[in-house]
Amino acid sequence: MLIAFLVFFPVLMAFVSYVLGKKSEDRRDIFVIIVCFIELGAVLCLPRFLPVFDIDGILITGLHFMTDGFRCAYAIITAIMWAGTSLFSREYFKHEREGLNHYWFFVLVTLGATEGVMLSADLVTAFVCFEILSFTSFTWVIHEETPSAVRAGYTYLFIAVIGGLVLFMGLAMIYFTVGTLTFSELSAAVAASDRQGVILAGAICILVGFGCKAGMYPVHIWLPKAHPVAPSPASALLSGILTKVGVYGILMTSVTAMTGNMTFGLIVLILGLITMFLGAVLALFSVNLKRTLACSSMSQIGFILTGIGSYLLISGMGAYEAVHHEAHAGIALALSGTVLHMTNHSLIKLVLFMAAGVVIMNLHTLTLDDIRGWGRNKTALKIAFALGALGISGVPLFNGYISKTMLHEGIVHAYEIAEEMAKLCVGPAGMGDLAIFLKIAEWIFLVSGGCTFGYMLKLFICIFLEKNADPARQAAFDADSRCMNLASTIAICGSSVFMVVLGVPAVMKNLAFYMAGEDHILEFEAFIWVNLKGGLISLGIGAAIYLLIVRHVLYRNGSYVNLWPAWLDLEDLLYRPMITKWLPGLMGTVAAVFGENKVSGPAAAAFFKGWQSLAALFGEDKVLIPAAKGGFIAWSAVLRFFNNSLDYLIVFMRRTVIREVRPPRVRETAIKRMRAATGEVMRPIISNFSWALLMTCGGILIILCAILIALL
Amino acid sequence: MTPIFICLSILLPLAGGFAVLLADVKDDHRRNVLVQVISCITSVLVWLAILSGGRAPFTVYSFTRGFEIGFLPDGMAMLFAGLVSVMWPVVNLYAFEYMEHADRRTSFFGFFTMTYGITLGVAFSGNLVTMYVFFEMLTLVTIPLVAHYQDHESLYAGRQYAMYTIGGAALAFIAVIMATVSGQAGAFLYGGSLNAGLDRQLMLIVYLFGFFGFGTKAAIFPLHSWLPTAGVAPTPVTALLHAVAVVNSGVFAVTRFTWFVYGPEILRGTWAQTVCLLFISFTIVFAAAQALRQRHFKRRLAFSTVSNLSYMMFGILVLTPAGLLAGLAHLLFHGIIKICLFMCAGSFMHVTGKKYIFELTGVGRKMPWTFGMYTIGAFSLTGIPLFCGFISKWRLIWAGIDAAFPASYIGVVALIAGAFLCAMYTLTISVRAFFPIQGTGRFEGEAVGDAGWRILVSIGIFTAFDIAFGLFPGPVMSFLGSIAQGLI
Repeated sequence: MLIAFLVFFPVLMAFVSYVLGKKSEDRRDIFVIIVCFIELGAVLCLPRFLPVFDIDGILITGLHFMTDGFRCAYAIITAIMWAGTSLFSREYFKHEREGLNHYWFFVLVTLGATEGVMLSADLVTAFVCFEILSFTSFTWVIHEETPSAVRAGYTYLFIAVIGGLVLFMGLAMIYFTVGTLTFSELSAAVAASDRQGVILAGAICILVGFGCKAGMYPVHIWLPKAHPVAPSPASALLSGILTKVGVYGILMTSVTAMTGNMTFGLIVLILGLITMFLGAVLALFSVNLKRTLACSSMSQIGFILTGIGSYLLISGMGAYEAVHHEAHAGIALALSGTVLHMTNHSLIKLVLFMAAGVVIMNLHTLTLDDIRGWGRNKTALKIAFALGALGISGVPLFNGYISKTMLHEGIVHAYEIAEEMAKLCVGPAGMGDLAIFLKIAEWIFLVSGGCTFGYMLKLFICIFLEKNADPARQAAFDADSRCMNLASTIAICGSSVFMVVLGVPAVMKNLAFYMAGEDHILEFEAFIWVNLKGGLISLGIGAAIYLLIVRHVLYRNGSYVNLWPAWLDLEDLLYRPMITKWLPGLMGTVAAVFGENKVSGPAAAAFFKGWQSLAALFGEDKVLIPAAKGGFIAWSAVLRFFNNSLDYLIVFMRRTVIREVRPPRVRETAIKRMRAATGEVMRPIISNFSWALLMTCGGILIILCAILIALL
Repeated sequence: MTPIFICLSILLPLAGGFAVLLADVKDDHRRNVLVQVISCITSVLVWLAILSGGRAPFTVYSFTRGFEIGFLPDGMAMLFAGLVSVMWPVVNLYAFEYMEHADRRTSFFGFFTMTYGITLGVAFSGNLVTMYVFFEMLTLVTIPLVAHYQDHESLYAGRQYAMYTIGGAALAFIAVIMATVSGQAGAFLYGGSLNAGLDRQLMLIVYLFGFFGFGTKAAIFPLHSWLPTAGVAPTPVTALLHAVAVVNSGVFAVTRFTWFVYGPEILRGTWAQTVCLLFISFTIVFAAAQALRQRHFKRRLAFSTVSNLSYMMFGILVLTPAGLLAGLAHLLFHGIIKICLFMCAGSFMHVTGKKYIFELTGVGRKMPWTFGMYTIGAFSLTGIPLFCGFISKWRLIWAGIDAAFPASYIGVVALIAGAFLCAMYTLTISVRAFFPIQGTGRFEGEAVGDAGWRILVSIGIFTAFDIAFGLFPGPVMSFLGSIAQGLI
């Protein structure tokens, strides 16, 4: 019952808040905060293992919910995110409270739907809740109603729709092949099936579908556009939780249906690497605070996907006896790294986006040059932002370090196992190539980690350390050290405490064990040289990137410049033209051929013109054409004569033979009278040759009447 | 008793409509009451026929062997007649408000009521000849409705409509005759009623004639363009006839012809099936892409209907019971959704007098109920869970994957592509209505609001059905399942 409460309580309260908001905006805001905290309290009471909670008979297979360590933890994180942002929103939306009724309504519905996804026991439930939150969160993106927000909103909506449909198809393929979508039954059912091709295709559809929400390449396009235009509390939720909803789906499919499938693992790993690297590079180039954070989100999702990919690869290789033991340790690392990095990223992005919200709330701009130097004397914000930056960059002693190290060690383990298998000549062909690929993957991982450090340094130094290029502006910044009220301070600083608490290895290891259930992870040592090495290499690369690239290439004449070419945008280059121009254009051409677009008319005219000019070639002698014309005239006269001859005959007969016979007067007036009576009614009938219809109907009416009488 | 109920339910609206035409009642209120009473009694008769439980075919008149007027109240007939009988009184309610200020109201309601009887005739007909007769009558009786406004566009639309559908019926006529002489007089039997030992290739060619002939009313490419053009008709006509009654008659006739005359065994795996499925798949994507290009609100919805009719035909032509179930489910659900969408569009046009999509920027805030229900319909049509469109789409994809042959996979891909385009062409309207770019809203400060209660209630009824079937599809699905298995 508690699960049902968690899912449906916010949805019901959404309606209450809407009604309440019609009366008093202030009361509604407080009410929403209370609802979020009640939700948080309830979710903390959630026991780790509950029997499956079913709501049968609705939709196609009913709704099913359950709990386990990972689900509990994520349900709690979800509630924390909502509580934090709702607390912060009160100040953020101070000046535009009137239009917020529907905003809060959708925020609360999304909360319910998100809890629904996080606690789902089968893919159908996850899918239903996923679709709901897709569309409710759309209203956040478009909330500001500026041209760029509306454009981003459309992008978000269509990616959400296409994601939903592809996911839908994937689910259908798997469901109709193996007969179940319940997580606990999937792995056995998939193993027993003999249509592995269809299952793989279905799983790829699921990957793309959930990937749309997660921000995975090549369907990431909405992410860098939607986050900057959404209100900051909403950006925090979009980035912190909604992307994780997508990751949740991918992770759950990977650990149940696709576990041990190396092809799928390779696809996830490659897409993860591209997402990770592309996001990091985009973030490095960006000169807008929230866009940088958004691209960073994309990059971090790439890290998480990499973890899932290496988990899949290791579990596939672990099927061979020779490397069984090593695989066990590798699985524990990759899986724990994945869930921990999800957790870390949610909490870090909560802090960072709320900090960005404070900036925009005070300055109404996010361009780095404009906000430079603003944070020099805002101590609380500075510390919170610094903690977030340290966490996400993977600096030892903070939370991101441990999860990133685990992910890194996961890839290293995969590499070692592949190399070992290549040496022992066990397993499928191409293990040597796989090992080389994994080595490259490791370096991409380290460089992307370095980029993370680079762009976080760029942000922090720009906002909190440097002075603004305009001294007058800097003086104005320095004059006022207040930037937020008490509630917002509590929300931001309270959330940033997690960066430190989760930086303690013992806490992290137990959390990983709680969430992923792999006991190997308890033996993990965070601060031994092997593990520190990766982190330090990454930080070194990051420092180098900052000093060499950011300071020298991206910083010119005292301002940050965006060197990313504007035309290089997958959406504008490919997706939008494909859907708005190419496809309708192609179909329009087809339609035109069939006479819908006035193309066949001109084509026919052109054909006749060509025919005429051909005739003119032969008509130079000025004889042929007049002759032909004369011929035509004569011919038409003959035709007309034959055409009308019957009329001539009738006229002739009328005037001679049947002159006396006339229709009786009475009938004529009867018809006239009837036409006058029905006047208006008859006009459409006659003008639409439905006279025949009336006769037919009348006839059938009479027949049917007769039959009916006979029957009775 | 069932035969009497059926005959009466066909006769009453025909006679009633005729009476309305001739009597020419000038007083709107009295005529409306008369029309609504006729429709309601007819609906009651239909439900009496459904519930009275007679399932046996019966012949009312036999001209000669193989040419009989006969009816068959089986599951298919009950499905279609039941659907129509619920919709008609509700759409009447809508039409009373919508047509308040239109010209020639008597003519409109007269023909509209007659159409009801003829549609029921198509639904209940028990053999090919009877169905063909009613099918032809349906064309004739709806022409004045299409051309109702009598302006240049409407007359053109009426003429095009007549040319396409009469031409299509002529094509179908060949198939009707062939099937009648080479089987059991064209009687409808689940699984087919053709004789064994016919020339298979010839019969397949004849099948294509029948498919495209009956399919003209179901707007199969390249015989689709009458439907968008006919969108100039008054909204009650486009909503009920061009989203449900007439076009579903086309699908219904194809179903009868495919499943009850030819039978799936003769057709399964043949080139004829492949050709049909390829045309269907193409229509789905083609019409959806065309819908995206339209600027006229109702024309866009009409193209969407073209696309969705092919969804149903896909289910039917997959030639498995699962497919038939899916096709019939979509027939039912699409009817509910599309009538709702058209009514919302009509309501917008009625209130503001505007027709084009770019003219509705920001109107959602002024007409929240109308466009709220429109958005629900749009979600449903796209196939978002919680609404009934999702259920039928799920079944269609199931049928496609389950059948597992190349053309069915192509169809599944077309379904998904069509659904995506569907989201684009329906949801963009919602977004435009509710979230205009700041300062571009067109109706700021204007006294525009939701339409009157009759329009809102009739849209609301369909929206309620939409959600109810979406959440609790169980009973309907088991009913459709037994139709698809040939049990009732």
